[in-house]
Amino acid sequence: MKLGKMKNVVAGLLMGSALCGNAIAAETLFSNYVFAVGPAGQNGALWSFSRDGSYSGVTLLNFSVSGKGSVVTESTAQSSVETDTMTAARYEIYEEDFAERRRLPAVYTGSKLGLVLPMFSVDESGRTSRPTGYYTIRDLNSVIENPLDAPVDEDTLKKQPLMYATSGFAYDSTAKRLWVARGALGVMVHDMSGKRNEDTTFVLNLKMNKLEVRKQNAELDLENNPEIFDVRIHPETRDLWLATAKGLWVKSSSGLKNISKNLKDSRVTGLWMGGEPLQIIAETNYKKKDNVIGGLWRIYNEKTSDFVKVDFLDTAGKVQKKDIYDEADYTVSDIAFIGKTAYVLVHAVGGSISGYLKLDSRGARAWDQDDDGKLQWLYGYETGATDRKAIIMSMCAFPLTKDRMGLAIATYGNGISVSADSGATWSVILNRARLNNNLGSIRMVPSVITPGDESLVSYKVGRESKITIEVFSYDMRKVRTIVKDAVRSADASRSTNPKEDVWDGRDDHGKDCTMGVYYIRVKDNHGHIGWGKAMTLGGNFR
Amino acid sequence: MIKLKNLLVTALTVGAFASSALAIGFTKKSELGGFDGFVERMGAGVRELGRGNTGSADTASMPAAYWNPALLGFRENIGITMNFEKRDLDRIGGAFGIEGKVGKRMGVGFAMLYRGDTDFKVIDDDDQTLGSASPSFSMFYLGFAYRATRQDAFGLSLSMSYDNLDVAQYFESIDMEDSFRSPVTINLSWFRQWNDKWSSSVVIRNLSFSRNLSAKWTKNPSKDNSLASTEGVRPKVLQVGLGYRTQIMGKTVHAWMEALDYQVADTLLAFDPQLHVWTGRVGFECEVIPNGTLRVGMDDLDWMFGAGYKFDIRIGRKKFPIEVDYAFLYESRAGIWTPFTIGLRGYIP
Repeated sequence: MKLGKMKNVVAGLLMGSALCGNAIAAETLFSNYVFAVGPAGQNGALWSFSRDGSYSGVTLLNFSVSGKGSVVTESTAQSSVETDTMTAARYEIYEEDFAERRRLPAVYTGSKLGLVLPMFSVDESGRTSRPTGYYTIRDLNSVIENPLDAPVDEDTLKKQPLMYATSGFAYDSTAKRLWVARGALGVMVHDMSGKRNEDTTFVLNLKMNKLEVRKQNAELDLENNPEIFDVRIHPETRDLWLATAKGLWVKSSSGLKNISKNLKDSRVTGLWMGGEPLQIIAETNYKKKDNVIGGLWRIYNEKTSDFVKVDFLDTAGKVQKKDIYDEADYTVSDIAFIGKTAYVLVHAVGGSISGYLKLDSRGARAWDQDDDGKLQWLYGYETGATDRKAIIMSMCAFPLTKDRMGLAIATYGNGISVSADSGATWSVILNRARLNNNLGSIRMVPSVITPGDESLVSYKVGRESKITIEVFSYDMRKVRTIVKDAVRSADASRSTNPKEDVWDGRDDHGKDCTMGVYYIRVKDNHGHIGWGKAMTLGGNFR
Repeated sequence: MIKLKNLLVTALTVGAFASSALAIGFTKKSELGGFDGFVERMGAGVRELGRGNTGSADTASMPAAYWNPALLGFRENIGITMNFEKRDLDRIGGAFGIEGKVGKRMGVGFAMLYRGDTDFKVIDDDDQTLGSASPSFSMFYLGFAYRATRQDAFGLSLSMSYDNLDVAQYFESIDMEDSFRSPVTINLSWFRQWNDKWSSSVVIRNLSFSRNLSAKWTKNPSKDNSLASTEGVRPKVLQVGLGYRTQIMGKTVHAWMEALDYQVADTLLAFDPQLHVWTGRVGFECEVIPNGTLRVGMDDLDWMFGAGYKFDIRIGRKKFPIEVDYAFLYESRAGIWTPFTIGLRGYIP
């Protein structure tokens, strides 16, 4: 809980760090605070959506794969969202408990609409909480705002805006329809098949067992018209699937029916389809007292007639009685599919733990077991997906080359990571300032922290060196040795080891250093010395 | 007799070194640098800096409200001191003091100590420099003394700090605080001039009104509580000083030593050595030419060299004694040397 709170603190700090998105335009990404990644249609092309404080923007990245199989960034280009009062990342994405409110759906719909993201505007308290519509992003010059009317009165919307938030998109390319899950408002369809684009909002009528048009300013009746949290088009049958507060519903040519007995009355908050063979994964999520109860369900290759709970396996493949949901409250942020494997990205409620599960045909297999016997199911920082401990916000699969799918993850503060080998190795792409060789410039990134957060000691050496990094107080008393004679390689951009070369605002004994300015000395074994500065806002005396 | 003097000087030196060494051996649970109070730890006055930041057992030390408020009991005139330091890594510092006699047995003085950084680059998580800040840290002392006898004086000073981080402008969406004031802390002291050779001092710093008499406070970096509040503890300090004056080859030589104990805990009294950091200071000065003094000293592991020259300025019939001081400082742990310091002090008779 403390970690989570601290993260929120840092989030607040960093969210405020930009004066203007354009004034400090990022070098590689719009910002290292990336909330979503999504395919961009072309081979090697990837969208990322970032928010650097007041402003939001998208970056279009193009990758290739080197002869050795590693990812090479060919080009990046950015575009900012015009106004600071609208964004795709709602304010509460850090704070909410419910799964459908803790993710940012980013769906590539094809060349007609491009990438689709939700859109939120600031409310009276200055928070970007008010659901306003959705963005469609075809290219950097076409970041289009698509406002949506809320067919409820203003007071109802103000009380619980997130009940009406867009939380899922699906594009029916055959019928040329974009479906938008809108929570308590039901599901909206944006029909582009005719000459005029028409929007119609439907609610699920349980009594009548049908989707009916929602009347303007109709009273909410969540018993009969349950919230719709996610929407998908089945890739083979083209049926419309709806994840609702009362089960999983499918609308096909034969009508509307509740497709799953096992999830009949469950609060199904997310639905994903993909892979070869086809996997359909559903997330259930509800609150019981203060706990968030989550579950992962799946139909794999239609081997089962109904959804069954995903098994968690140990490293030898034995099914375990306890899974990650017994350790913490998790919600699913995204799922990517490559071949037989589903990559399920999860994020702990009220904490900073995040990572992805790898689901094969049998279930989620642990990649390690620690000395205490605890099974490690989550891939992430520990497995090299990120080189700093950052929350993984989003994940997608995208065509990297003609015959190779890439994986991409978006992190909160550490840019994006891309893998060309299904997550075995990763390349981190993020904004980095230019550094001078041989410790000619040292940058603490960021330079203002609170204890427990990390400031990266950023430096560059021209040849392999043994590096010693020490922290001094203003009166030049040494308070911390970060690394001593650690071997670092020459690098074109920076030689920093992001896992080790960080200062967390604490002294050698783990105590929070008092508020003030600290001086970080970097020495190599060739006689070069560089200095950086960091400010800690202080912690608690322990 | 010369042997005895040498022995004493050697003892002082060894004592200072020993206390420095102890600082290394007993800092397993706390690093002093991470605690509040660096402005106080760094001393005040270029004259005193040149001889290892020793000043608590010297009646001529200024500003006395900082060094040892009991010294104010020995003031006969109004004394003023101004000092400036420019250290490497954009650090600047200074001290100002004014003090004088009140009645027959009392003295009063004011001191201000200042430290700052003139170029702190604010870098965000996108590795972009948002601008440069000039954080500053200052302490104020108001000291009072009572001279109980010709040889003894007791002092009390009230101190408080004012810090300005100067970074709030770069965090627009947070209603961030830039400036922080600490509550008033109390410093108690005693000075005794044993004879024309020996003097001693005892200063207890950073007592406050909390349960453990600790100078502990909470700072809230944001006005809207969006940032976690932080607690600061300024260690209680026991500072014992010793001064010795003698003649070597016809030149007046002073040896100064101070032993400091920092109690790095929020407790009334802690006897666990893990909760203490001991450091020492030692300094020597010799009037090598009339009115011209050379100094050398060591503050913990930092080396200092200094020089001073006294002269008078006559305005009408009045003579105003002035002293100009310089110090060279080597901060050995960081490998940084500081050649730019200057201090000025004088008396208004």
